Amino acid sequence: MKQLVQRAVEMLKGIGVDYGDVRAEVIKTESTDFRNARLETCQTIETEGLGVRVLVNGSWGFSACTGFNKDDIDAAVARAVSIAKATGGRGKVELAPLKVQQGIYSGPCRKNPFEVSREDKIALLQKASDDMMKDSRIKSSYGQLWFEKRDRIIGSTRGDLIETDLVFTQPTLMATAVVNGDAQSRTFQEGARISGWEWVEESGIASWGEQARDQALMKVLADESPSGEMDLLLDGLHLSLTMHESVGHPTESDRALGWEANMAGRSFVQLSDQGSLKYGSNLVNFIADNTMPFGVASWGWDDDMVPGQKWYTIKNGIFQEFGSVRETALLVGKQTSNGCCRAMDTQCFPINRQPNFYLEAQENGVTPEDLASDIKHGIWIEGRGSFSIDQRRESFQFGGDLFWEIKNGKKVRPLKKVIYRSRTPKFWGSLDGIADKKYFRSMGLLTCGKGEPGQSARMTHGASFSRFRDIEVGGGK
Amino acid sequence: MTKQEMMDFAQAAVEAAGTPDAVAVLTEKRNASVRFGQNRITQNLDVFKRELRLTVGDGEKQASITSQKIDIHALAGIAEEARALLVTSAPDPEYMSPVAENQKYPIIYQAWDEYTAECHATPRMKAVGKVIDAAEQNGLIAAGICSMKSRKIAIATSTGNITSHRSTAAELSFTMDKGLASSYTEISETAWGDLAIDSEIATVVDQTLSNENATEVEPGEYKIILEPEATWNLLMFLPWIMNARSADQGTSVFSGMEGKKMAGDNFGLSSSLLGGRPGAPFNEEGLPSEDVVWFENGVLKNLPCDRFTAQKTNRSPLFIPNTLDMNGGEGSVQDLISEVDKGILIRRFWYIRFVDQKTLKLTGMTRDGVFLVENGKIVKPLKDFRWNWRPLELFSNLLQIGTCERKGSGLIPPVVIDKQSFPFTD
Repeated sequence: MKQLVQRAVEMLKGIGVDYGDVRAEVIKTESTDFRNARLETCQTIETEGLGVRVLVNGSWGFSACTGFNKDDIDAAVARAVSIAKATGGRGKVELAPLKVQQGIYSGPCRKNPFEVSREDKIALLQKASDDMMKDSRIKSSYGQLWFEKRDRIIGSTRGDLIETDLVFTQPTLMATAVVNGDAQSRTFQEGARISGWEWVEESGIASWGEQARDQALMKVLADESPSGEMDLLLDGLHLSLTMHESVGHPTESDRALGWEANMAGRSFVQLSDQGSLKYGSNLVNFIADNTMPFGVASWGWDDDMVPGQKWYTIKNGIFQEFGSVRETALLVGKQTSNGCCRAMDTQCFPINRQPNFYLEAQENGVTPEDLASDIKHGIWIEGRGSFSIDQRRESFQFGGDLFWEIKNGKKVRPLKKVIYRSRTPKFWGSLDGIADKKYFRSMGLLTCGKGEPGQSARMTHGASFSRFRDIEVGGGK
Repeated sequence: MTKQEMMDFAQAAVEAAGTPDAVAVLTEKRNASVRFGQNRITQNLDVFKRELRLTVGDGEKQASITSQKIDIHALAGIAEEARALLVTSAPDPEYMSPVAENQKYPIIYQAWDEYTAECHATPRMKAVGKVIDAAEQNGLIAAGICSMKSRKIAIATSTGNITSHRSTAAELSFTMDKGLASSYTEISETAWGDLAIDSEIATVVDQTLSNENATEVEPGEYKIILEPEATWNLLMFLPWIMNARSADQGTSVFSGMEGKKMAGDNFGLSSSLLGGRPGAPFNEEGLPSEDVVWFENGVLKNLPCDRFTAQKTNRSPLFIPNTLDMNGGEGSVQDLISEVDKGILIRRFWYIRFVDQKTLKLTGMTRDGVFLVENGKIVKPLKDFRWNWRPLELFSNLLQIGTCERKGSGLIPPVVIDKQSFPFTD
């Protein structure tokens, strides 16, 4: 693969483009899916290909092919150059400076999941599925073990050459109970990690089946949500989604520039807001970290070949800086990219994506129960549910996966069909308590959709239990 | 690859499998697109993809492998991997052999346009240039994408079926902004030459300029006028969850509703292979497509049904063949507006998600154009708002249905929905 990349780079040098990079990947994905205690899918997907990105007179040209046939690669190189030239001066690309990068990065993987037998994976899912379906009121169940090995090599006409080797692992389980004409689901997952089979073992999936069953039943039999303004106590898995939508997307530089206006949307955050916009309370510290252990955006380098970095997106409640790529960094007033350029695969042009980021928690000895004790009337929410936000990322409505009503400092009854609504700065401004960092939980997302043509990207978010005051809660009837 | 080359390769994959059951699906796609934002071109791409999926079975177990090694010499290795995977699989109580031999597949020539498939760069650049020039001349900022795409598919089964199909799409969608004012369009045709580019640009410029200085919606009752794009944004959630199996499990809004009324008399939904958007002649199991009525006079007539559930419940196996039309009426959006005393015109919805799947309750936002209509005229732009609605309730209260346009997966009309009380959240 390296020779093919170097050969294509030499072709670009021979043609004389202003800049060119060649990205080759071999991706092996294995999926074992159970539905209703039956093996539904036993599959392997092996993709391989090469993407060529060139800059000619300030305009991009990008082409790609699947497979490593030399004729197809030559055609891809020629097409990339041809369409860059066809842009005819309507591009104005200027890349932020970057030292030439060379190196190798392997993500953490102690136990290769592709060396664990399929029979063992099937047995694990069969047991979990059987546990879920033991109660006849569970009408639907789903379980999945998903693994991906992604080998990537990028070379450029500048002399960059990086190689990465990443393994992703994600276990998932869900039970749906049907009682008295209502259906409610409970999902167990903490998302994907750059990790091996050890993430399956550490996740606790062996006990998820019984928990999913019991909690789906508890949920379907629960009372429906009260309405009105009340406090919320939100766990890290739940907040991973809230922060993704209301912090991650609005702080992407390409959205602020209007490049995503046609589909993914714009941002309420302006370029001039860096260093000054009051985004939340003083407790709000969001750290972006593409070196985060197990984070699914920790790739060593991004697709611009910018090394993984760590920075404050929001510090003491004040917005600090956008996530950027080499193309947008100069446009948002920065001298260098902070490394947020990634493509879904070699068929996709790399674009500005969210980094891993999380809500900072301290060692403060505060428990979730301590936070609840100061709530007169509120709701304790775990996990992810319905989510919707306006295209400027300011006005949102979220659900959740498991709900408890809190009265006078105590959890008093389970609830279902809870939704809450707020606006981004108001919501983060109402945060007044974060539990100790030992309650920190993170979620690795695999399917953040963005761009045209649409592509998905990966990033990890996390938090400890956090308390928010006076949020509008409405029933999701 | 030519049609014959693709079918030969799929057939060779089935033969290489060496298992009692096998289905091979070979796809070839090309996507040539120009993307723009901030009145500048931000991407120019032309990508090409070929992929084979080989599903093998032994009468009890199944496994599948997908590969992008589209080389006749690689088939033996792919088949060997598939067989190895099959050995490790588990017995499937819902095992289904490939579809029986001698399937008759419709031929849909209308889905292909040779010029569009050639993906010339110049027409796309000219179209995007027109959008950007119009935006700059009017003090607006444009973002969008212009594409020519082709897709070819060939399928072969171990039961002797073999067929292929090809389709093209020409698409232009863009948004123009002026401050917080914006408007949007998306046009899509099989053939590049059928795209009405100039008229769409003029319309979006006018709509963006008329959308400045929007105000909040006042509480009260309003009829809702949906442009075809907005109708499709709501409607698309029906096919996502129309499914006989989940209905039987009691987990969907369609549970126990087959043959029953779920929407108004004037609501209809169907798939027509030769409709406004040509359908696919077969699915990836090798089942032939057919025209299907899903809703008629508000009654749920059919649900998509997988082969196992069909066999178990005495239904016919059914699927949506990549085309879906809502029944239309007569009249443009302007004609519908002229009949409304007090209403809200919505161009497009955004970020629609389920709030409750069991009752098909959705939430979402408006974007890129919301207007107050009074006495048959647009009187002022309104700010975007959140709503929580059940689309089947809205489709039970359709006062008027206009002329269909090609949107989303088929032909979709503008509609007027009877009064809803703002705020549209509970």
